[in-house]
Amino acid sequence: MRRRDVLAWLGAAAASTLPARAQSPAMPVIGYLAPESPVPFESRLKAFREGLADVGYVEGRNVAIEYRWADGRYDRLPSLAADLAGRNVSVLVASGGAPSAVAAKAATKTITIVFEMGGDPVALGVVDSLSRPAGNITGVSSLSVEVSRKRLEFMHELRPTASSFGVAVNPTSPTSGSQVRNLQMAAEALGVQLHVMNASTEGEFEAMFLSATQAQAGGLVFTSDPYFAFRSTKLADLCLRYSMPAVTQSRDFPAAGGLMSYGGDFIQSHRRAGNYAGRVLNGEKPSSLPVQLVTKVELVVNLKTAKALSITIPPSLISGADMVIE
Amino acid sequence: MTRQRLRIRGLFQKYFLVLFLAVVIPLATNGVSEAWFGYRDQRATLDQLLGVEARSAGARIQGFLDDITNQLGWLVQLPWAEEPDERRRIDALRLLRQVPAIVNLTLLDGAGRERLYVSRIGLNRTETRTDRSADEAVTGARANRLWYGEVRYYRDSEPYMTIAMAGNRPSVGIVVAEVNLKLIWDVISSIKIGETGHAFVLDRPGRLVAHPDISLVLRGADEATLAPFRELREAIGRAGADVATGWDAEGIAVAAAAAPVAGPDWTVVVEQPLSEAFGPIYAALWRTVGLLLAGAAFAGLLAYVLASRMTKPIHLLEDGTERIGAGQFDHRIHIETGDELQRLAESFNAMAAELAVSQERQERIAKLKRFLAPQVAELVDRTGDDDVLEGRRTEVVTIFGDLRGFTAFSARATPEEVMSVLSEYYDALGGIITKYAATLTSFSGDGLMLLINAPVPVAEPALRAVDLAVEMQLCVQKLIVGWQRRGYRIGFGMGLAMGPATVGRIGYESRFDYTAIGSVVNLAARLCASAADREILADATVAEAVEGQRVLNPMGMRRLKGYDEEFLVYHVAYAERPDAA
Repeated sequence: MRRRDVLAWLGAAAASTLPARAQSPAMPVIGYLAPESPVPFESRLKAFREGLADVGYVEGRNVAIEYRWADGRYDRLPSLAADLAGRNVSVLVASGGAPSAVAAKAATKTITIVFEMGGDPVALGVVDSLSRPAGNITGVSSLSVEVSRKRLEFMHELRPTASSFGVAVNPTSPTSGSQVRNLQMAAEALGVQLHVMNASTEGEFEAMFLSATQAQAGGLVFTSDPYFAFRSTKLADLCLRYSMPAVTQSRDFPAAGGLMSYGGDFIQSHRRAGNYAGRVLNGEKPSSLPVQLVTKVELVVNLKTAKALSITIPPSLISGADMVIE
Repeated sequence: MTRQRLRIRGLFQKYFLVLFLAVVIPLATNGVSEAWFGYRDQRATLDQLLGVEARSAGARIQGFLDDITNQLGWLVQLPWAEEPDERRRIDALRLLRQVPAIVNLTLLDGAGRERLYVSRIGLNRTETRTDRSADEAVTGARANRLWYGEVRYYRDSEPYMTIAMAGNRPSVGIVVAEVNLKLIWDVISSIKIGETGHAFVLDRPGRLVAHPDISLVLRGADEATLAPFRELREAIGRAGADVATGWDAEGIAVAAAAAPVAGPDWTVVVEQPLSEAFGPIYAALWRTVGLLLAGAAFAGLLAYVLASRMTKPIHLLEDGTERIGAGQFDHRIHIETGDELQRLAESFNAMAAELAVSQERQERIAKLKRFLAPQVAELVDRTGDDDVLEGRRTEVVTIFGDLRGFTAFSARATPEEVMSVLSEYYDALGGIITKYAATLTSFSGDGLMLLINAPVPVAEPALRAVDLAVEMQLCVQKLIVGWQRRGYRIGFGMGLAMGPATVGRIGYESRFDYTAIGSVVNLAARLCASAADREILADATVAEAVEGQRVLNPMGMRRLKGYDEEFLVYHVAYAERPDAA
C-alpha cells in the first residue's frame, strides 16, 4: 500500500512540474520576417544560420525561429511584423530589404529589431546614426542601392555606342526615388538618356521589356530592389527572350542566365545579420551594435549569355569581375 | 591519575607535533619556494611569449598593408603619356578586384594632375586632369615615396585611410588609394593568442583601427569605447620589461604586450585573459598545494604512527611501574624496541625481581622474629638461608619461668587486672630476652620457655643462661613489689637445665614454632615447677659449666616429679638488689 502511495505521489509531482516546464522555455525565440517565400530565401537563411552559429546559437537546439513569409506581397509585411511583435519574440529579424525593416520598425518600439537591407538606413530614417543607433533597431546594409549608378556605368561600358538605356524601377520601394535621382546624375555624367519604366508586379515585367525594346534601349538597368532580386530567373528568361542585355543587383541573375549583376554580397549581409541577432539574444543593446555596411560589392558576368546575345565583353569588365560564368 | 594521563597525552602531542613539523616544514619550504620560482619563470616566459605574439601580430598587420602597397607599386612603374592609358585603367580595375580593401584609386601623372579615378561605389573618371598636386597625400608621397594618411571614420563609423605612393621617378606619377580598414578584420580576427586571447590595433592618437569585434571599431572615435584600449596601451608602456597586466573592454583582467606597425605608426596590442595566461602558473600552484596537502597528510599519518610507537613503550613502562609499585613484583615489562627504552624496561624488571627477593626476606625475617631475638633473626637472614631452623640435635640450655600464685590471682582479679599484670610482666621480660639473644620458644599465660645455643650457637651458653635468669628474676621481683603493694599475692620462680635436645621447626604452613624436645626440657620445666618465689634452680650440668664464674649453691638431692631418680639441684645465688650486684 505504501509503495502505491509513493508512486501516486511521484506521479502527481511529475504532473505538476510538466506545465511549469512548458511555461518556462529555456529557448529564446527569433521572429524572422521576410518578404518572399522560403525557396528563394534558402541561400540567405543558410548564411543567417551560420551567423547565429558564430555566436553559439543553433536553431532547434538553443533557439527557436518563428518565420513569417510575405510571399512577394510586400503589403502584407506590416501585419506579419505586428503578429511577430504580438508574440513577444526575443528579437525581430527584418530581412530581405528596406520594406521589411520599415514594417518591423512600425510594429514595435520595445523588441530589438535586426534588419538586413540594401539601402542606406539613415537616409531611409530607419536609424539616426550608423555608429550609435538609438532606439530598438540596428542591422546590416549592403551597398546595393548606392551602386545602382555603377550598374549604368557597366552597361554603358558594355554598349558604349548606345545613347539610351532602360531603367527598371519598383515604385513601391522606399529607395526608388533616390536611386532614380542617382541614376539621372550618372546618366548626365556619362552623356546618355534614361528610359525609366515602372514594375511592381510580375505581370508588368513583360511590358517593361517590350517597352525597352521599342525604345531601342542599349540595355536594361535594374534598380536595387528585393522584388527584382528574388525574381532573377524570370527576369533572366525575359532578357534572353527579348535579347535585351540587363544588369541587376543579385548574383542570382547571371546564375539564372542573365548577363550581369553588380551589388552587395547578400551572403555576407545575411550572415552578419545572424551574428547580430545572436548578440542581441546574448543581451547586447542596439546602441552598442553599430550598423554594419557590407563593403564587398561583387561584379558577376555570364559569358554564355553574352555570347547568346552576341555581345563582346570588354577586357576592362572581365578584369574587374569577381566571378565570370563561362 | 588524571594528571598522569594528561602528561602522557602531552607527550604524544609533543612527539606528534615534532615529527609532523619535521616533515612538513621542509616540504612546505620546498613547495613554496618552488612555486615562487616557478611563478617567476612562468611570468618571464609569458612576457617572452606575448612579446613574440605581439611582433607576429604586428608583422601580419604590416603584411596586410604591404600587400596593398606592393599592388599599388605596379601602377607607378611606367611614365605617363599625354593620351589616355587604357592598359593602366584595366590594371587599376584588376587591382580593385584583387584588393578588396581598396575602395577607390586615383592615378596622378608627374605633374600631379588626375588622369584616372576608379571606384567600387562611385562613377569612374578618366582624364579630368584636375590639379591635385597640393593635396596632402600627393606632397606626402612625393616627399617619402610612401605616405599613410590619418585614420578617418566614414560617416562616423567605418575606418578609412589614404595610402599614397610615388614611383621611383616623377614621370611615373603617383597613386592614391582609399583603403577601408574594416577589412583588416580578416587578419585581426584570425590572430588568436592562446585559446581566448586576441589582438587589436590602435593608431597613434589611440583610436581603434582593428578589433575582432567589428562593432567596437564601427563605433568610430567614441571616447568611452576607446578609453580601456588606451589605458591598456599605457599599461604596457609602463610595464617595461615585465609582463603588463590591465583590463580589457569587458573588464576582464588581461596580460598584454604591444608591437609597433612602422608605416602608419600604429600599435598592435595582443592580450590574453590572466586566467588563461597564468593558467599554467595556477595549475602548478594547485599541484604544489595538492602535493603539500598529500605530504602533510602522509606526514600526519607517519607522525601518528611513530608517536604511537614511541609512546606505547612509555605507556607499558608506566603501567609496569604502577603494578610494581602496587606490590605486583612478579610483573614483567615486555619491550622489544632494541633501544634505551628496552634497557630501561629490563632494569625495571631487574628492580622488580630484587624487590621481590627483598620482600621475601622481609617476610622471612618477620616470621623468624616471632621466636628469635631480632639480632639473631637478622643474623639468620644475613646468612641467606634458614637451614639453622632445620631439626637437629644439639646442646642447649633450657630456661623455664612462671609466676607463682597467678592462677589463684587470675581467678579473683578482673580481666583488666590480669591483662595489666601480664602486660607489665612480658614488657619487662621481652627486653631482657632480646638483650641476651635468647630464643623464645613458647609462652602461655604466665609461663615461658627460652632456649640458649639454638638455633644459633653462642659462646658459653650456660653462663649466658645464668645471667639471663638472674636478670629476669631481679626484674620480675621489682614488678612483684608493685603488685604486692596493690595486694596481689604473686611470686616468680625459674628453672634451667643444660643438655642435648632435638631442636627445629614444628607446625604447619605459616604457623611454625621453633622448639626443643628432649629430657633437658622436661628437667628444666620440673626445676622451675619446684622453684619457690625468688628462686632460680639449675641442674648439675649448668653448675659445672659456670663453675668459678658464677655462684651456684647445691641444695642437695631432690626428687622431681616425673623422674624416678633424684637429682642434685643447684640454687643460683644472686644479690637481692640488682644495684648491689
